[in-house]
This record gives sequence, structure tokens and C-alpha cells, in this order.
Amino acid sequence: MCLFWHVIFADVAGVKMTTIPRKTRLYIWFRLLLLQASWNFERFQGVGFFYALLPGLRKLYRKEKLLEVSKRYTGYFNTHVYLAPMVAGAVLKLEEERAAGTSEPQVEIADFKEMVAAPYAAIGDALFWGGLRPLVAGIALFFAVKGIFWAPVIFVVAYNLVPAWFRTVFFVHGYRRGMRSVEFIQQHKLPDWAIHTKEAAVVVLGGLSAFMVFSHLTQQQLPSWLGMLTLIPMVMLGLVARKGVSTVLLIFITVGSIFLLGVFWVDMTKLITLLGMEL
Amino acid sequence: MNLVLTRIDNRLIHGQVLETWVPFVKADCIVVANDAIAGNQLKKMMMQASVPSRMRVEIGTVVDSVALLKSSQLDKCRTMLLFGTPADAVRAYRAGLEYKQLNLGNLHADKWQAQLSCTLFLDTTDLADLELLDRAGIKITSRCIPADGERSWRKLIPVVKGRN
Amino acid sequence: MISGLTIGALIALMCGLDRVAILQVMVSRPIVAAPLTAFLLGEPLVGLQIGVMVELLWLARLPVGAAVPPDDTQVAIGSSALAIILAQRLDTSGIELILLCLLVAVLLGKVGQYFDHFARQHNVRLAKQVDDALERGSLLRAELQHLRGLGSFSLAAIVTYATIMTGGLLLVPLLLPLVQQPLSYSSSWVQLALPLVGIAVILGTINVSRAITLFCASFGMSFLLMWLV
Repeated sequence: MCLFWHVIFADVAGVKMTTIPRKTRLYIWFRLLLLQASWNFERFQGVGFFYALLPGLRKLYRKEKLLEVSKRYTGYFNTHVYLAPMVAGAVLKLEEERAAGTSEPQVEIADFKEMVAAPYAAIGDALFWGGLRPLVAGIALFFAVKGIFWAPVIFVVAYNLVPAWFRTVFFVHGYRRGMRSVEFIQQHKLPDWAIHTKEAAVVVLGGLSAFMVFSHLTQQQLPSWLGMLTLIPMVMLGLVARKGVSTVLLIFITVGSIFLLGVFWVDMTKLITLLGMEL
Repeated sequence: MNLVLTRIDNRLIHGQVLETWVPFVKADCIVVANDAIAGNQLKKMMMQASVPSRMRVEIGTVVDSVALLKSSQLDKCRTMLLFGTPADAVRAYRAGLEYKQLNLGNLHADKWQAQLSCTLFLDTTDLADLELLDRAGIKITSRCIPADGERSWRKLIPVVKGRN
Repeated sequence: MISGLTIGALIALMCGLDRVAILQVMVSRPIVAAPLTAFLLGEPLVGLQIGVMVELLWLARLPVGAAVPPDDTQVAIGSSALAIILAQRLDTSGIELILLCLLVAVLLGKVGQYFDHFARQHNVRLAKQVDDALERGSLLRAELQHLRGLGSFSLAAIVTYATIMTGGLLLVPLLLPLVQQPLSYSSSWVQLALPLVGIAVILGTINVSRAITLFCASFGMSFLLMWLV
């Protein structure tokens, strides 16, 4: 009865509904795909987050109140793109609670956003950019090296399975659990999973290198054991890269030395044959 | 105390720190000196949850962190120290923490007066704090991630913009 | 040639936006972007070869926070388009041309990072306009500012692509006669070396303790398996 009362008279306070319809939530989810369209150095994803949530806010507030709430959203915000839907879901729930005024919010919404943004960003960066991307790229390259034209499709499909799951399931999860959605992250030790993924990526890349070197040597009809020597320049390059040397420089050094060696080798062979003929 | 990196980053622990700086300086312990986070159990827990369990994380107030660093507890660790603002870095210095270099990562002062790089927005107090640390002989450089070049903060000409 | 350039530009735009602005479904990765370009230009194999070579080079440069990684998307698209267009125009073919196009694109692609920077810096203005719009009470205007950001990112992508193409179309025909013959001695080795350089960089920067040990073990194991079996 109390709730009914609230809804009827909500307009007076600039508040409309107390829940965001399913359709609007779906719309918000689609808008989240454009989260970084106006990414900038001052607010990062701030404006995008406001843009995505606006349809929801429109359902909850109106007129002056809506403008006032909107202003709170346009400031600095940055998290991982794939985990932003989870934050958005939770924030929508908190906004609903605040608009309804039924429960006193445990924390301010702005505080919640700030609290989860950096940790989610750290987790997402490690898991997706640092782990999943090299892992799937390594697997897809096996196919590409073999000359299979489906390799790009394999990459896109295999890679997106995990992000798609995070983007959809956790959007719903965030909306259902609100504040408590953070428990999932706390319980599941995702940073450790990120490490496992990265280790797997290193193993896959090791196999890939071996495969590429081996096929190349077979093609060139050279003895296979030579391939084991590849490890020496690779480890050296890795150690140099660790010092912060730019990739472009490493590319040109490598290509340059191979180029010169090639020219030198051919010239030497010619010279030796020439000398052999003289004698 | 074995400080491998002292950094000012208003986002404290996030992707740049964990994914680029940790492997670069081979750190195995992160000390976050920030009063606001230390005072909020939930924020503290969230921050700890974003770090792999093989790394040690200590989140405390500036005063507590300085005490921890000065004790012998972290002697065996390669420690990375994170501040949220230049003001905290000054407080730590005054509390007797000795550090030789200071890395500027991200700073987003609300009413910024000067922009040192795309990610460094400073207000007048920040500039004064850095000036003070600079005079104390601390080498202050701006470098967002290791792949970026290291630049002295003096060489970055502040783009002073009257704003608001 | 014009149609080839246009197709390339469209892919450059689409994949370029996927990098930061929209979706992030990773069609911006070289292993996808290069074969896509090459497929539409009628030479899918060229794209696959370029994709393999470029994919791993900057994979270790993560888009963390405000860090702007080098624009490998445009390098991949640009070098694929260059290699295919120039093969027709110069009436030549072979891996040497592909490698030269790729190396020129790698060098010119450096500008991509700067244009990306400009776009993100330019968008700061949009954020201010959002504030103004809200101050004046227009939510619709505020919303539209966000979409205007797509313009900056599109422009950055297209200008990077255009730089690579213009530079490439001018430089490659000049350089090719000079290096084609000597490069033919080592081309297959260079083709093998590029992905390996990328892997080495990943090993050097990935946040895994003992990454090199793990890598060597995996490499040795796989190699022995292929050798002995």
C-alpha cells in the first residue's frame, strides 16, 4: 500500500516509476556497445556511461530531477569495456532503489561507481587484454599459418565467447544483485584466472613458434635441429623488449640483419664458387 | 625496504600498474598509501580482489604505510608504492620516508590549472607539492606506462589554462 | 585502383572504430582486418600472410587506461591494400612486394598513434559541451555530443589509412627495384622472423613469472614432437 502511494504521488517529487522496464534495459545494453564513442583524456568513459544509462534514468526521474541526476553521471569514469555492463546493471538497480526511496542506499551511487571502476578495469585488462587475446590469437594463428582461410572467423568467434558472456550475463547479474554483484568478483579470484590464461597463452605461443620454425625448415630442406637455435635470438629479443625498447626498432633491427645476412651469404657463395672455378 | 617504483596515480591499482609496471620492475608487493581507501573496508576489499593472490598487497593510511615501509617487514619484497595525490607523497616524505624517484602516472584534478601530459591534470597545490619534492632532490618523471618515454616533469611545459 | 582504395577505406573505418569507439569484438585485430581487406580485393592469401606477420607484433601493447597502443589495425589494412593494388599496377607479385609494403606501413603507421591521441584530446571538448547542454537543460543535445565522438575516431582511422596509402603508393614503387633482388634471398626468413619478434616482445612484457622458461619448455617439447614423430 505504501508503495502504491509512492507511485501515485511520485510525480510531485520528479520521480516516475520505480522499476526500469525490460525493454529499456535491453536498449541500455545496446547503448553500452557504444560506451567509448567519445572516449577522452579528461573523463574517459564518463560521457559514454551517461549516454548508456540515460534511457533508464528517463524512466525513473523527470524534468529538473532528471537533469540533476544526469549531471552526476557525466564526470570521470573508466572501467573495462566488457565489465562496464555489470557496473551499469548494478547502478541501475541502485538508482531504482534511490528513486523509489524505499531503502536507504548503503553507499552513494557515485562512490559505488568509483569503488568498482578501477578494480574491474584491472581485472578486465589482465583477463581479456593480457590473457585471452594472446591465447586465442595464438590458436587462430596455427590455422592461419596452415593457410586455412577460416582462421579470422575462428579468432573472432572463439575470442568473443567469453566477453559476450561477461557482457550479457553480468549485466543481468548486476541488475539483479545491485551492490552485491561485487561479491562474484571477490569470490571467484578472477585475477588468478587471468594468470592461468596468460600461462596458457605462453605455452600456446611456444608451440606456435615451434610449428612455424619447423614447417619453414622442412620447406627449405634444412636439418630440423637448427630450429632449436631460434630460441637464442628469441630470448635475447624478449630480454631487450623487457627493457622497454620499441617494437618498431626491434622489427627493423631483425629484418635488417636478416637482409644483410642474406646478401652476404649469397655473395660469399658466389665468391667461393668463383674461386673454386679459378683454381 | 626495497622500493622499485614510487608512483602517483589517482586510480591507484589498475590495469596500467598491474599489467605493465609490475612485470617491468618485477615487483611482488604493492603498498597503497591512501587514507580514503584504508578507511573504507569495502573499497579496500575490492582493491585487494583485483590483484593476483601471489602478490602481496598492503593498503593503509599514508602514516601506516610509511611505518610499514620503514620496518623490516617488507625487506625481502620488491615493493611498488602508490600514492593517490602529490599531497600524499609530500606527507610520506615528511613522515620520513626516503625515496629517490617519483613516477607520475595519472592525475585528474577536478579544477585543473595545468596539464603536463594527456593524463596529468594538476592544480596549483599539486604543482607546489611537486616543486617541494623536486627541491628535496627527488627525481620526478612522467611516464604513464613503461613503453612511453620517461620525461622529466620540468621539461613538460605546463599548459596553464584558466578554467572555471 | 580507386575502387580498391575505397574498399580499403571502408574497412579501415569499420575496423578502426572497433578498436576503441564501438563494439570491441576484435575485428580490429590484424588477423581479421588484413584477410578481410584482401578477401574483398580478391587476394585472400596475401591478407592471411600479412595477418600472421602483424597480429603478434603489438599484441603486447595493451590498451590499458589512457595508454594508446600503436595502430596495428591500419598497418594491417594498409599493407594488404598496398600489396594487392601495387601488384596489379607494377605487374609483379611475390612475397618481396608484400614485405616491402608491410615494412613501409609499419613505419608510416606510427602516425596512427598520434591521430588516435588527437581524437581523444579533441573529445575533451565534447565532454565540455555535454556539461553546457545539461546546464541549458537539453538532454538530447547532451546525448548527441557523445555520438559526435565517433566522428573524431573515424577521422583518425581514415587519416591514418590515407597516410599509409599515400606514402606507400609513392615509396614502394621507388624502393622495390632497389631491394627486390637482394630481398629475395631472405624473404622467407623475414616472413618467419616477424611473428617470432612479436612473440618475443610478448614474452618480454607479459605479466607471468618465468614466462621465458615456460615458453622454452613448450617450444622444445613441441619441436621434439614434430621432429621425432
